[in-house]
Amino acid sequence: MSQWSEATQERAREIIARYPQKRSAVMPLLYLAMAEEGYLTDEGMEEVARWVGITPAQVQAVATFYTMYKRRPTGKYLISCCTSISCMLLGGDDVLHAVEDESGVPHGETGADGLLSVEHVECIGACGGAPAVQVNYELIEGVTAEKARDLVRWLETALPDVVNTDEMQELFGGVRSFDWAVREGDGARGPYPAFQALGTVGRQGET
Amino acid sequence: MSEPPTEHVSITIDGDTHQVPAGALLIEAAQDNGTYIPRFCWHERMNPVGMCRMCLVEVQSPRGPMLITACTNNVADGMVVDTRNPTVKKAQEAVLEFLLANHPLDCPVCDKGGECPLQDQAFSHGPGESRFVEIKRNYAKPIPISDLVLLDRERCILCARCTRFSDEISGDPLIEFKSRANVTEVNTFPDLPFSSYFSGNTIQICPVGALTSAQYRFRARPWDLQMVESSGLHDTAHPRLSVHVSQNEVLRLVGVDNDATNHGWLSDKDRFGFQYLNSEERLTMPLLRQDGELVETTWADALDRVAERIGLIRDEDGGQAFAVIGGAHGTNEDAYALSKFARVVLETNNVDARLDDALSSHFLAATVDRGLIADIDVADTILLWGPDLKEEHPTLYLRVRRAAQELGVRLIVIHPRATGLDDRASMKVTYRPGGGFALLDEIAEGKHPELRQALSADRVVAIVGQGSFADGPKLAESVAAYVRNKAGSARILPLARRGNIFGALDMGLAPDLLPGRVAPDEPGRAALAESWGESPAARGKDTRAMLEGIDSGEIRFLLLVGADPIRDVPDPRQALLALDSAEYVVSIDLFLNDSNREADVVLPAAGFAEKDGTVTNLEGRVQKVNVIAPIPGQGRPEWAILDDLAERAGRPIGLATAESIAKEISEVAPAYAGITWDHLDWEARDGAVVPLSGSQPLSHIPVALKGDSAPTAPLLLHVGRTLYDDGVMIRHSPSLRTLAPGAVVHLNPDDAKRAGAQDGHPVKVVTSHGEGEFSAVIDEGTPEGVVYVPFNQPGGAPLGTDAVVRVTAVGR
Amino acid sequence: MTYPLVVTKRMTDHPADSHTLERYEATSGYEQAKRVLGMSRDELVEEIKTSGLLGRGGAAFSAGLKWSFLAPARPSYLVINGDESEPGTFKDRQLLERDPHQMLEGVIITAIANEVHHAFVYIRGEYPKPARRVQTAVDEAYARGYLGKGIFGSDYDLEVTVHLGAGAYICGEETALINSLEGLRGEPRLKPPYFPAAKGLYMQPTIVNNVETVSNLPHILAMGAEEFIELGHPLDTGTFMISVSGHVKKPGNYELPHGITWRHLIYDIAGGVPGDKQVKAIVPGGASAPWFIPEIHLEDQITKDVCAEAGSMLGSGAVIVMDETTCMVRAAERIVRFFAHESCGQCTPCREGTTWMEMILRRIEEGQGRPVDLDLLLDVSDGISVGLAWPPKMTTICPLGPSAVSPVLALRDYFRDEVNEHVERGGCWFPGARVKPHDTVEGDRRQLVEIGARGELGSGGRPPEVMGNRE
Repeated sequence: MSQWSEATQERAREIIARYPQKRSAVMPLLYLAMAEEGYLTDEGMEEVARWVGITPAQVQAVATFYTMYKRRPTGKYLISCCTSISCMLLGGDDVLHAVEDESGVPHGETGADGLLSVEHVECIGACGGAPAVQVNYELIEGVTAEKARDLVRWLETALPDVVNTDEMQELFGGVRSFDWAVREGDGARGPYPAFQALGTVGRQGET
Repeated sequence: MSEPPTEHVSITIDGDTHQVPAGALLIEAAQDNGTYIPRFCWHERMNPVGMCRMCLVEVQSPRGPMLITACTNNVADGMVVDTRNPTVKKAQEAVLEFLLANHPLDCPVCDKGGECPLQDQAFSHGPGESRFVEIKRNYAKPIPISDLVLLDRERCILCARCTRFSDEISGDPLIEFKSRANVTEVNTFPDLPFSSYFSGNTIQICPVGALTSAQYRFRARPWDLQMVESSGLHDTAHPRLSVHVSQNEVLRLVGVDNDATNHGWLSDKDRFGFQYLNSEERLTMPLLRQDGELVETTWADALDRVAERIGLIRDEDGGQAFAVIGGAHGTNEDAYALSKFARVVLETNNVDARLDDALSSHFLAATVDRGLIADIDVADTILLWGPDLKEEHPTLYLRVRRAAQELGVRLIVIHPRATGLDDRASMKVTYRPGGGFALLDEIAEGKHPELRQALSADRVVAIVGQGSFADGPKLAESVAAYVRNKAGSARILPLARRGNIFGALDMGLAPDLLPGRVAPDEPGRAALAESWGESPAARGKDTRAMLEGIDSGEIRFLLLVGADPIRDVPDPRQALLALDSAEYVVSIDLFLNDSNREADVVLPAAGFAEKDGTVTNLEGRVQKVNVIAPIPGQGRPEWAILDDLAERAGRPIGLATAESIAKEISEVAPAYAGITWDHLDWEARDGAVVPLSGSQPLSHIPVALKGDSAPTAPLLLHVGRTLYDDGVMIRHSPSLRTLAPGAVVHLNPDDAKRAGAQDGHPVKVVTSHGEGEFSAVIDEGTPEGVVYVPFNQPGGAPLGTDAVVRVTAVGR
Repeated sequence: MTYPLVVTKRMTDHPADSHTLERYEATSGYEQAKRVLGMSRDELVEEIKTSGLLGRGGAAFSAGLKWSFLAPARPSYLVINGDESEPGTFKDRQLLERDPHQMLEGVIITAIANEVHHAFVYIRGEYPKPARRVQTAVDEAYARGYLGKGIFGSDYDLEVTVHLGAGAYICGEETALINSLEGLRGEPRLKPPYFPAAKGLYMQPTIVNNVETVSNLPHILAMGAEEFIELGHPLDTGTFMISVSGHVKKPGNYELPHGITWRHLIYDIAGGVPGDKQVKAIVPGGASAPWFIPEIHLEDQITKDVCAEAGSMLGSGAVIVMDETTCMVRAAERIVRFFAHESCGQCTPCREGTTWMEMILRRIEEGQGRPVDLDLLLDVSDGISVGLAWPPKMTTICPLGPSAVSPVLALRDYFRDEVNEHVERGGCWFPGARVKPHDTVEGDRRQLVEIGARGELGSGGRPPEVMGNRE
């Protein structure tokens, strides 16, 4: 009865097996549903409800509590600009306006071509590298308004299949919260976090 | 099952010291001692969540004075509580100002206005002004979240009463919080309505006008309503409720908290299933068949003709030519009048209120070790072997659910398919329809050790009834007998349908019973002689035998009282034949129905809330029901019709008023001694339980475990009842009429595949008793090899009691 | 000046590969985990109690005491709180990303001390890279037999599940975290009765420890409690991580002993203020903490107790420095907006009050302030935290709502004139203001209507997901 691909179903079974009680798997399964369809649809929530044996209303109660479950169509690249206190002090608002201006997408919305979504978010734990921006939750610290415009143009033209925090930091970042050390190629394929357990990690260079 | 004495602790509230029960919630302890602490989210029948913060009080703690919520903290010895000092007052005023900040204040057009806790507490505890000059939250309003309930999110104060009720109490978590922070709302899932059998309770407990009744919307202002307390009669538990009337019309029913039965909750059938009272199709005049048509006539004319026919037939053939079916929907007083009328006027014991529901009258009326509903709270094990409580006994369903979920009682459910309590059962056994005896044998032989062990516990409550039409009538009694032998102490709750069936049986509306749970044998009849004179000795017939007797011509006169056998007995073929061939049929009813449409005389009766009386529930609890609305047209209470008819038939039964009948019952029925209206009105507000010890012992315990052998066929039919069906009261209640599942057949996915049936597509279902076309529901809750069809559905066809069934997809 | 490093030593000495198992094992990694397998629960609890280690998540409760309160029922669970989300805080991110095995060894030690066989590491959803590093470390540990059935060849089983959050600050509150982990809304539970040590995850006894707290454990066991105590202040032992951000030349995480002064931290360690501007205000312990001002607090020692005496807290160790060019109304609004946005919505005062505060502050900042608004703001705050004292007298289940009041206390105590000037001048004159001062009352009113019509009052901070639900 499942609408999900066999690989995703297998992933769902693995995730459920990691918890003593099925219901604990709701959050990771919601990410799976997003990865399957690009955002969280009603059908996705119904599917999660079936997997863990609760009602869709109960799944919706959880899904709507957290800001990272996007219940409207979301772009291939979700640009999140932090405007909380530390980033605001160092120009986070300007970075946000630069992103909005360059992309033509006001915060809270997705461009007509479905490529970019822009949002402003509360603190993302990069205060030492303020102002900070994330693309599909891959972090860039020490961004200026100018670099933010470069970032938008890069996304629009390079259309990277996988966005990776280290690469983007090198291209568009500045001051960091701490020494990031070696560069790694893992990154995100869509507007949800890249994490092994979810099967959402992409490698740069692969398609 | 007595409780240990309660320990007390000493607490100080606003300077006064009180002794309160240890472990009590502060908000309750304060209230019991005269201090009302304001609250919105707290509800005495649900777990506290401490969300609204209205009940903040200040207590002294080792770290100095601190604010705590009175609804989430228990009293402790030496606790010093301040409920109205400046700190508390500031907190209370702030909470109220916060709640009103985004509240639309549309009280003039709000159904809750005038009975609204938010209004009341803003008045009593609020700051008296709002300084909120910003723009309020805006939502579409109201939005229907089901056919019965409307949601207005602007009015909502997010107290979580509705979400807790549906999750914790009724087990249908279909309404939930959504989003968070300042835009948190309550809502359902898109396209998945709040289709709970208990949704109306959320309207009642909503402390604002966020959830309102589609049926009651804009019908009245609360200060215009007249109210009287009564008991719901859709459900044999008799949930207590209040009947609200305006301009002579019943407008709504509201649950009343009763420890013994419903804890304040009502099923939607009990809450909204009164609308038939106001139906345009109610009978208002006596009807007499003339030239093949039923035409209106006078009471005198109608009754004289019936009396004449009674005299004629009695003279020719004696009491054996009469049959009385029904009487379970009226009051005890009505039932007593009918019982007396049958015996004294018709000289017959052919009387039955059960309409072929399987359990024996003696078992239902007077099983030894009969339990109370409250026994399930303190049981070690509850065995539920019978119908799906959620569908047939909603009040009991909520009590059992609570016991299993909140009180840690082990619940065993045995039923042919999924039931509403499976998620709370610690053991669930399914068996093939008709295979109940075989399963019981297996249990007795030790093949289910865990189950056996659970039934050997100290305190076991067995709730037994007919789970499926294919189950033999003695199964429930045998299960009860088995439990009685295994358990330390057993309590039995036998189940039957029809609102006042237990009262009817107690009044003698069964061939083998007289009033007061007495057998119609020599001593039983002798005890009645003073009041009744001579009563018949001949053995009476039950419903099935009466229908056969009518068909064979042995019975010539049929009196139907609130009964529609064609729609109501498991195998309607017999009823159809009987009513077709009956010589003379008289019906006392509220409506024309399939069974009385061809009657010779139809007499209009009084409905619920249109007469005073008493009723008796499944545990033997007698409660008062009260009149508040007029009877439409010339309708009369059943007892009054029967008394008049007896007089005209030359055998007066001497019934003057309902209250005098109650007095007569208390005199002639030993079990009912002392149960008077005065007692019920003033002393026993929760009702009085009729003691078993007052009954004459009845032999009714077949312990033979070997019953019929289970039928064998690839597919077996399970017919069960659903809360909403095509019964006459639902049919005439507009809010509920559309909620019945309809003509559907539930098939296991594998069986469906084999039959080529697709979800929502028509299939043909055939038994040896009948056949019909049904819409397929693919359902994993129905085990492989079982075919489930809900009984008496609009558009459905009767399939009888034979379990062997064939299913084929239509159009293949 | 240099201070001894504990939890950041490996990443400082080996910046290229501190997160790898190879490096971890080459620098005494997992030695303590192996050792404690032979120790009793009592011994372990006692050792950690003696060390004086306080929880590093913000509440600063004794870690050893917390363990000793664990109820006897089993199974018991361990949850590592890596939901770091307090504005200004980014220390756990570094520990997770740069030394995941150190945290994992702490997990093993804590599990053994508390008879836990299933531990969960809850990492905020916006930290995918740290989560990937931790998952890699967990996978490596499983492969080596350090986790799973019979760890290190013993008969002790330990499963570790890494759980990703999804954007909710409140899940850093331990009972909300537990709800979240159970697949529920991340709403804090009532205490009483739901103290995690007795009725935590799945209603079983549960230890919830912060990432930094458990990262200290291998070191405490290696060096001994006495040495650990000597690293810090007598009442606040060991080192602790401070995240410095805002207007400083060298923002970042610093591992320091307790007891240095604010002046030393800001001017010596963090390099002072860019452009050598004046410090105007300091947020000493994350956005929840009432602010300090240099005129009063610069020479204070940085310890839990000194902070408390001065009416604030060290909290999660996040220091945000604001210089003289910062608008205090805007800064307060930004912090209040954060809490309004992150309120779980359960308690009326927090749900309604914080948003109202945000609306008032925004109006003042954008030139729509009225003379009564500061008093109104204070009174609304008073309704969330009655008496406006410190520590707050809470009207709510958890401290989130009262935390939103902290910046308002600073406005009341230190920046009243600046607020009133916003009202008088009809706007904000600091750099970056959206609405500059204007003159006429008519203009005020028109602008109020315009802002209202755009639906932006009180909503500007909302991301679309939350705002989008209005139908």
